[in-house]
Amino acid sequence: MKRNLKSYVLNLSAVLLIYIVISSLIGTGAINKYYTGILIMIGINVIMTVSLNLTTGFLGELALGHAGFMSVGAFTAGVITKALVEQYGWNATACLPVSLLAGGLLAAVMGFLIGVPALRLKGDYLAIITLGFGEIIRVIIQNLQITGGASGISRIPRVNSFTLTYVLMILVIIVMFTLGRSRHGRAIISIRENSVAAEATGVSVTRYKIFAFTFAAFFAGIAGGLYAHQIGRVSAATFDFNKSIEYLVMVVLGGMGSITGSIIAASVLTLLPELLREFSDYRMLLYSIILIVMMLFRPKGLMGTAEFSLTFVWNSLFGWVRKLLKIQPKVKDTPKAGLTDESVKAGHEPIMPDLPAYPLQEGEPVLETRNLGIRFGGLHAAEEVNLRLYDNEIVGLIGPNGAGKTTVFNMLTGVYLPTDGDILLLGKSIVGQKTYEIVANGIARTFQNIRLFKSMTVLENVKVAFHTRMHYSPATGIFRLPRYVREEEGIDLRARELLRVFSMEDAADTPADGLPYGQQRKLEICRALASNPKVLLLDEPAAGMNPIETKELMETINLIRDRFHITILLIEHDMKLVMGICERIYVLNYGRVIAEGKPAEIRNNPEVVRAYLGHSDQTNKAQAELEAIRNGNA
Amino acid sequence: MAMLEVKGLNVYYGAIHALHDVSFTVEQGEIVTLIGANGAGKTSTLHAISHLIPAKSGTITFKGENLNGMDAFKLVGKGMSQVPEGRRIFSAMTVLENLEMGAYSRRNKSEMLRDLDMVFGHFPRLKERVKQIAGTLSGGEQQMLATGRALMAHPTLLMMDEPSMGLSPILVEEIFAIIRDINREGTTILLVEQNAHMALSIANRAYVLETGSITMEGKAAELLNDDKVKSAYLGT
Amino acid sequence: MVLFLNQFINGLGIGAIYALIALGYTMVYGIVKLINFAHGDIMMVGAYTAVILMVDLSVSFPVALVVSMLVCVLIGVVIERVAYKPLRESPRICPLITAIGVSYLLENSAQLLFSANPRPFPTVLSIPPIVIGGVNISFITLLTVVVSVLLMIALQYFVMTSRTGKAMRAVSEDMGAARLMGINVNITISLTFAVGCALAAIGAMLYCIAYPSVAPTMGMMPGLKAFIAAVLGGIGLIPGAMIGGFIMGIAESLTKGFVSSQLSDAVVYGILIIVLLFKPSGLLGKAQREKV
Repeated sequence: MKRNLKSYVLNLSAVLLIYIVISSLIGTGAINKYYTGILIMIGINVIMTVSLNLTTGFLGELALGHAGFMSVGAFTAGVITKALVEQYGWNATACLPVSLLAGGLLAAVMGFLIGVPALRLKGDYLAIITLGFGEIIRVIIQNLQITGGASGISRIPRVNSFTLTYVLMILVIIVMFTLGRSRHGRAIISIRENSVAAEATGVSVTRYKIFAFTFAAFFAGIAGGLYAHQIGRVSAATFDFNKSIEYLVMVVLGGMGSITGSIIAASVLTLLPELLREFSDYRMLLYSIILIVMMLFRPKGLMGTAEFSLTFVWNSLFGWVRKLLKIQPKVKDTPKAGLTDESVKAGHEPIMPDLPAYPLQEGEPVLETRNLGIRFGGLHAAEEVNLRLYDNEIVGLIGPNGAGKTTVFNMLTGVYLPTDGDILLLGKSIVGQKTYEIVANGIARTFQNIRLFKSMTVLENVKVAFHTRMHYSPATGIFRLPRYVREEEGIDLRARELLRVFSMEDAADTPADGLPYGQQRKLEICRALASNPKVLLLDEPAAGMNPIETKELMETINLIRDRFHITILLIEHDMKLVMGICERIYVLNYGRVIAEGKPAEIRNNPEVVRAYLGHSDQTNKAQAELEAIRNGNA
Repeated sequence: MAMLEVKGLNVYYGAIHALHDVSFTVEQGEIVTLIGANGAGKTSTLHAISHLIPAKSGTITFKGENLNGMDAFKLVGKGMSQVPEGRRIFSAMTVLENLEMGAYSRRNKSEMLRDLDMVFGHFPRLKERVKQIAGTLSGGEQQMLATGRALMAHPTLLMMDEPSMGLSPILVEEIFAIIRDINREGTTILLVEQNAHMALSIANRAYVLETGSITMEGKAAELLNDDKVKSAYLGT
Repeated sequence: MVLFLNQFINGLGIGAIYALIALGYTMVYGIVKLINFAHGDIMMVGAYTAVILMVDLSVSFPVALVVSMLVCVLIGVVIERVAYKPLRESPRICPLITAIGVSYLLENSAQLLFSANPRPFPTVLSIPPIVIGGVNISFITLLTVVVSVLLMIALQYFVMTSRTGKAMRAVSEDMGAARLMGINVNITISLTFAVGCALAAIGAMLYCIAYPSVAPTMGMMPGLKAFIAAVLGGIGLIPGAMIGGFIMGIAESLTKGFVSSQLSDAVVYGILIIVLLFKPSGLLGKAQREKV
């Protein structure tokens, strides 16, 4: 906590300092009206860029209609202020809170209305639809009486000020920042990194996409309102596709996923065109070249996903000065991720993530499938699959390539909807539930091709999985209320504990894609355990591992079963692993269970041997059928 | 001189060392098989030979010519063609068009027609379905199509990646009988297979791949009855 | 009724142009899964080339047409090699952004070279319209529809029966398997871009004959609409581009005639959104499943 307090003080001081410097310069006339206007535009553009970064940078979806939300905000705010002033005699400045808020809210509503249908699509299609909506907004505004038709609205009281813009800008930056550091921000980023894995770790992808969209639209609306009260007139043509692209360029240049990057890029790209007025003809040309060059040579943008940390700079600076003057640093207790006397005293003990009780009756299977099957077109990918998994078992699911093993996993986790049969978890049917609901109910999984959140750290990867066991709301996270602090501490403790079980606690701050392959697999398993599941599905965990890593994996799996008291179902091709740790094995071939039993029984089961190794004896029947087919008489 | 010589092949997928110093040869007229469990690196080997994926190190020599650095699409012209894993037929095109694609690198119309007849001779089912959209064929028919397509390139070396995958036992026997026929007609075959018994029953020589390294090699007939092969697949 | 028919026929005319441009989008998307935002601007390049040749260099129309096509093809192929090819393995957002950049590059270069003011396109044809029962069928519209339909049929025929066309279809489906067949994938992709650009050049000529004015941003709206047409019909499918183009043109024209010309854009986007919501892969498209 001490560390955070220092950080808060530093940042607040910096913000205040900048404000004081600039506003005094404005006050004394050192910065004239023209340049003040530019500074204000920088502020507005920062708000726009940072909000677009939420959708395009954090969520990872290309949105091409962001200027449309700005437009909605601008017109709403302009219309309301004018009405209040002209018809009700309000003081123009007093209108601002009402107008701006209304603008933001209406823009948010638009964001929601667009988000709900649009977010069912992905990637390119999503981008097109946002483009379409942006244009529709423009056309509608250009044709409504209330918004002044084609000529727009003019004579809006120009009551915006540097102070107001600066304050709002700082607020938006803070909100985006704190949102990003909360569990909701983590959820959004995890969707960008790997939406399938995000869903499988308990994040409702649809809900968060809509949330991000709406939130971003709200701030764009506020920016629009500021714009209206700055320029004094608005016309729909200002907020066209080109404008959306300008903000996209700022996000891309700054780095998709970096708030600092957005601030820098917005500032530079607002300032430069003004300073280079003579070259204004070349501005868009320069933009286009920037875009192309950036994508070809530095797609991460200036900052990538990194953020500027004043605290870090401060500490480094002091460290350097200390070295220079050869002063020994005070031996500080490294802040332990543990309960300290102070936090206990303050009544702020960490809130641990939920540990659901999984009530199980004696002899009842934990997970059961009854005649489970699925058809794709005419093909039965799985048929009459009856599995029973009991408490604390390790069960194997094996079979040749294409036998339907992953299909079964996908049905168990709600990725596929079975066409036949039922799945019962702790006695209750889960067919039809969404993946993230199934995670909350107690099934977690890993994937054949490792699906980690690559640019997040090891610790963050695990923390995402706690999402479904936490409760604090986005507002709590943004305003850093006590519940946020306590829950985050709780999962920090729990996450590190988990990493310790897997001997990975030293790698906590390494980005996930920097880990060696074996460790990445371990991390995926560790992450799956964070949601406190009752059943763990492992899909080919030993794939790509050498014999030593495989042996380690076997130990890890046994450890998990014992320590966490869960049931494990594992798909594997590595028979040493399967025969070594599974207590029971199901064998699938052509979508059906062809055998079930203990490892020794399975290994010597002639049908199993045939399914895997094939057979070279030709029975008479087979011979005859062959002959018939070859003569085209089948 | 061996028809195909692979020496010291190393392939990485990112940080994963998928193939370790893999070396083997294929002599003219042989059927050589590369067997191993799933994930052993069999498909990676064929992909590396066909230049679909890059190799970190190693040399691949075909008919005395070093293939390193050559564009993937030029290899067919050298006499090498592949029936890829999972068939990878062009499902939106007809059976005939798929076969035509197999002959893309060839110019001599009459020779192509002769090969078309040859393919239909091996796979009469395909002749019946000449105008059918390939995506609607059954698994076995798709395997036949993929094989026929590769044969249309008139290869000296035919590489086959897990032809038995997803096929019923009867069809597997049929396909393998046809592979034997193709070999008898003069085509050298490099066969990558998970189904060890079928592969060993038609091959001359075999290599066993385990987690990216070759652990056994020898005459197929000898390996057929070797318990070590069984343990490589099913564990001890 | 007369108004309806007049608008309908106008719609066919503009729809045919959208369809021609849409073909370029759809072929490129089919083969490299890229939305080439710059395609509409290629059309603009074609238009300017023709204007300069005809007005400043007194070249005849047929020659201007051919040169214009060559220029468009050249620019298209160069753009693909320089800006898109390096990003084939990158996440999809990257080439999308690059395409937007290229589009702006073309527009702003044109603006700098030729000024933002529109230039008139010289009259190439002056044949009076055919009048049937009060309905005006301008010769230009007739020509446009006929040329477009013929070109589309020719293209479909080419893609379906020629060796190169089949190679294009093979590469669209499975690049790796196509390589195994001996198909030079890079050349095939370049050819696809070339064909799309050539068609855009022809579309530009037809557009300029109907609306004789050339400006740096002229490609943006038709390009956007053509792209929407391609998506509407089912992106990657040539018949889809055809159907989508005509639907867009007719819808736009009827809205202009019966509702309001200002709202025609909104109606057009509205149609797109509705179709995508109910049939995300377009009218003729088939749904794709992601492998988990």
